[in-house]
Amino acid sequence: MHFIEVENLNKSFAVRKKREKGHFTREKTIIHALQDVSFTVDEGELLGYIGPNGAGKSTSVKILSGILTPDSGKASVGGLTPWLDRKNHVQRIGVVFGQRMQLWWDVPIVDSYQLLKDIYKVSKANYEKRLEELVDALDLESLLHTPLRLMSLGQRMRAELCGSLLHSPRLLFLDEPTIGLDAVSKLKLREFLQKENREKGTTILLTTHDMEDIAALCSRVMVLGHGKKLFDGQLPDLLSRYDTLRTIRVRYNAPPDFSALPESCTLQKEGDNYIITYAPAKLPTAEIIARLQQAGRMQEMTAQSQNIDHLIARMYREMDL
Amino acid sequence: MRKYFSTFLMRWKMETQYRGAALGGIICQMVFGLILISIYRALYLGNPQPMPLSAIVTYVWLQQAFFRMLLSSDNDLMDKIRTGGIAYEMCRPVSLYGYYYARIMAMKLMGSLLRAVPMLLFASFLPEGWGIGAPASLPALLLSLMGLVLGLLCMCALENITMGISMRTIDFKGFQALLNLLMTTFSGNILPLTLFPDAWQQVIRLLPYAQLLDAPIRLYTGETPLAQAGQVFLIQGIWLCVFVCLGLYLWHRNTKKMIVQGG
Repeated sequence: MHFIEVENLNKSFAVRKKREKGHFTREKTIIHALQDVSFTVDEGELLGYIGPNGAGKSTSVKILSGILTPDSGKASVGGLTPWLDRKNHVQRIGVVFGQRMQLWWDVPIVDSYQLLKDIYKVSKANYEKRLEELVDALDLESLLHTPLRLMSLGQRMRAELCGSLLHSPRLLFLDEPTIGLDAVSKLKLREFLQKENREKGTTILLTTHDMEDIAALCSRVMVLGHGKKLFDGQLPDLLSRYDTLRTIRVRYNAPPDFSALPESCTLQKEGDNYIITYAPAKLPTAEIIARLQQAGRMQEMTAQSQNIDHLIARMYREMDL
Repeated sequence: MRKYFSTFLMRWKMETQYRGAALGGIICQMVFGLILISIYRALYLGNPQPMPLSAIVTYVWLQQAFFRMLLSSDNDLMDKIRTGGIAYEMCRPVSLYGYYYARIMAMKLMGSLLRAVPMLLFASFLPEGWGIGAPASLPALLLSLMGLVLGLLCMCALENITMGISMRTIDFKGFQALLNLLMTTFSGNILPLTLFPDAWQQVIRLLPYAQLLDAPIRLYTGETPLAQAGQVFLIQGIWLCVFVCLGLYLWHRNTKKMIVQGG
């Protein structure tokens, strides 16, 4: 028995749009947000959930958090069906919707936390311990008595995350949690999530467009597109399918002579630098470097792998998303 | 129960954040009260009515003081419904009906107390014929307070139904405008219900709107004799049950069918 079991989940929405002409008629289109999606997640896993806009990521998160009832299919989280047993189910989960707010806008955030404590029936001792832990990890000490409306986006995000974790959920849904965060906050947040996952054994399901988040946090990723599951496995395996090209950037002391360079690689000039792109599967890296050394006296050389965003964009293109 | 009580306290706290708005509301309601009283005084000069003027004046002040109990909506909750913020509320281990009920009650109670106390103080210092009169007797005062509590409970249940309906229509303004019209007319806010034709009163008094403020005010002024208080409470109680059941049913259906769109 897995912690999360999802079987043949289907959900479609009717989206109405106005016709270009006429104000009283509407066109109705059915959008299949999820089509026969099945997967399982074990307790303690940290799963990344990716896919282009409108792929069905949020829909599945909403179904699993009990907000949305699917058209058909089965799902169980720790033995409960989220949409049928909502109240018992949500007691054990935490949710962060990066685009929405859960804390009260006008009052100091610590008041919101007190309310959440009562709503989730957290004991006073547990609450105090947990709050201290979270305040420390998320750097909220100086903000506790500030109303949410006076905070910056990044501060708000951290405050929201703290709110979602106060009741020590066993399962955490994060829907774009790093949206609008600066580099320092982002790194801190990742570190914190890793710690929660490792030390508390919290199962985390992360939806994001920030591939750096996925690369830093998740070993397993699931790709969703047009409501269908397209890939489920290790991130390196996914990337290696598309990560077929390497680039080397070199600068020479004197104009080089590239006549010895094989034809299968491409050459670009960018200022004083030359950028060579090649496929390591066909042309070993050692071979390329040897040829580049023959071309002239090198001043500097850096090897780069492709940017992860480019890889994902290529993957979406090739999967026709 | 504690979670709902905490929610109530939280909303209560939020209401006190807007003292400026409360002050504005008080001044507005006072001016409104004085204008209404002037109109009734003019009316009585020309054509005296069966109900004594002092009772009408008292009626007007009590209506104005508790104005916010009748005509106010929690815009925060409406926004949550409109923008999808309600998704978060669905992720809480609470009954949504109870959670919203607690919030609405805190807003209505705190909102009206903040305004009623200074307003009634002001009105009690006005000269005879302009100011609020004393209650008919001490038991009448106590019974009218009890009626006010029941009226408040009815009002919150009614408001929760409006919320439930706005979840379907998303934009609630049109629907609410209609409800507010019914409310101001049949609650006695514009014209005291006693001044309606007798035949009308037979019906209007049984309507839910008459249970909110009109019924407790009549107990206060002594227009409803103490012996009939039980009957008043019974009608209030019946409406309360009807509204709560209807609201619970509506919310139950909504949560099953609701779709929160977008990220």
